[in-house]
Amino acid sequence: MSFLISILEQGLIYGILGLGVYITYKILDFPDLTVDGSFPLGAAVTALLITKGVNPFVTLPIAFLVGMCAGAVTGLIHVKAKVRDLLSGIIMMTALWSVNLYIAGTSNVPLFSQNSIFKGNALVEALPKGIKPYATLLIIFVIAAVSKVLLDLYLKTKSGLLLRGVGDNDVLVTSLAKDQGNVKILGLAISNGLVALAGCIFAQEERLFEISMGTGSMVIGLASVIIGTSLLKKLTFIKATLAVFAGSIIYKACVAVALAKFDPKAKNFITAILFLVVLVLSMDRKAKVKKNA
Amino acid sequence: MKKRFVAGLLGVALVAGLAVGCQKQETKEEGKESYEIGISQFAEHGSLDNCREGFLAGLKKEGIVEGENLTVQYKNGQADMGVVSQISDGFVSGKVDMVCAIATPSAQSAYNAAMDTDIPVVYTAVTDPVAAELSDADGNGVGEVTGTSDQLPVKEQLEMIREILPKAKTIGIMYTTSEANSVAAIEEYKELAPEFDFEIKEVGVNNTSEVALATETLLTGIDCVSNLTDNTVVASLPGILDKANAKNIPVFGSEIEQVKIGCLAAQGIDYIALGEQTGVMAAKILKGEEKASGIPFETISEPGFYVNLEVSKNLDIKISNELMDTAVESFESIEVK
Repeated sequence: MSFLISILEQGLIYGILGLGVYITYKILDFPDLTVDGSFPLGAAVTALLITKGVNPFVTLPIAFLVGMCAGAVTGLIHVKAKVRDLLSGIIMMTALWSVNLYIAGTSNVPLFSQNSIFKGNALVEALPKGIKPYATLLIIFVIAAVSKVLLDLYLKTKSGLLLRGVGDNDVLVTSLAKDQGNVKILGLAISNGLVALAGCIFAQEERLFEISMGTGSMVIGLASVIIGTSLLKKLTFIKATLAVFAGSIIYKACVAVALAKFDPKAKNFITAILFLVVLVLSMDRKAKVKKNA
Repeated sequence: MKKRFVAGLLGVALVAGLAVGCQKQETKEEGKESYEIGISQFAEHGSLDNCREGFLAGLKKEGIVEGENLTVQYKNGQADMGVVSQISDGFVSGKVDMVCAIATPSAQSAYNAAMDTDIPVVYTAVTDPVAAELSDADGNGVGEVTGTSDQLPVKEQLEMIREILPKAKTIGIMYTTSEANSVAAIEEYKELAPEFDFEIKEVGVNNTSEVALATETLLTGIDCVSNLTDNTVVASLPGILDKANAKNIPVFGSEIEQVKIGCLAAQGIDYIALGEQTGVMAAKILKGEEKASGIPFETISEPGFYVNLEVSKNLDIKISNELMDTAVESFESIEVK
């Protein structure tokens, strides 16, 4: 049981990161590598604030805002300085490594003795006894759900529709007399805000900031988005934002299976095979749809 | 159709694997005389492997033998924090009798996962347990957690370098900015260097791909190199040694394995011995003789002097007889891996 809880906890945290990657990769068609830096950025900001005695819940919006700034800078580099999309992300990711070290002060900040959104606050204490073992999962779930709903609502606003327009048909956006560059910057900001929020939660759940925790997070986000959206493509009543969470949980489940059952050296290989299986399954669906059409 | 069948079959296998994965974690053999431990190792790495080997040897010394009365689940995090965290959760949900964590991030993650349970965590290769918040300032664990530290004997190392190279002025050190252990060691080097009339030149890298370039920077304007236990740098040590040898710059190591592969000498740690020391501690806790919270963390009692004679011949550096007499082990040739 706790094995599954752990998968769900991890899956939901990285699902929030997945939402961010969904905006850039699927909506804006922008492969944004800033993620590898903004995930630990959220964690570094959280570590700094919590050790300074700031209320853990306040760190959530602050991490989001700081992440937004990082994303906006990537956007500015791309739009204003006309650097290629992939390269702008790489530049920011590289710079953020040092920024994170400066913010956190050192490469490893333990938060064991500090309060967090999961421990030592009135909300957790107020939960009934039967629910307490699931408090962490519950809190992560609520934050994930709120993030998802807010993003869904945002994408329906005028600004959200423009964002989707830039990815699908940028000529249309220009013809509406809107600057697509600004829309892109906003999209990148929101995306990295979500990623930093995930970093903030991860740091509090692990009670630790570690500089290397962002390495490879872009890949996890991408895998979650692709697995989720392609696997659940046929179920049209499921929104893509929900599919991202499903993808992220499947990703973490694959890693957990590979960890539990196989030689440590083979772990990454097994994880890769499991992805392939998932993707083949979803491809089959597409073929079937085509045949029927 | 066939493809779909195969894919479906694989899908079922995935779900079954997950189910079995859970099940395996949930069931455990009963009986007090046999133990099940989980080993969470941060990365694939010679020194850390030695820790693990030593740890099991230490348990064996106390009569807890793998395959007889000990089941070991060994997991490697491959230096990925997300995976490390999943490993810790897996051990805790599988209710192992003890988690052995090798290297700082693994230890912190294991302690975090086991905090609210009665599963003890025994760590090794954690340089500064106090800074990692695994121990209070007096050396007592913050919970059911204890272990051994691999703090470098910096003072002894500087003393040794001064003795071998009386005229040397500047020591170059390469480290990874992400490794807290190394950063702490650099600080100590800087603090103690003036005492021995040395200057420290530090070069920081972020990952393995930067080591080659950084080596060139490191090797200009220095008299010798002193190497830490930095995971990234140690993994690239053969390349650094090559370039240093070409310039006739001696490289000092920090543990036995480094001297074996071509460092001139070291006042260093033997990770197998460190692991063994940890294993003996772990056995006491497993047998119920002591609680983890009752044992303060330990450091290796005495650093050993290791020297490689082939390197000293190549560089034409004489090691005094007095120093040679203190050597724990000397190597006649450079081991090629």
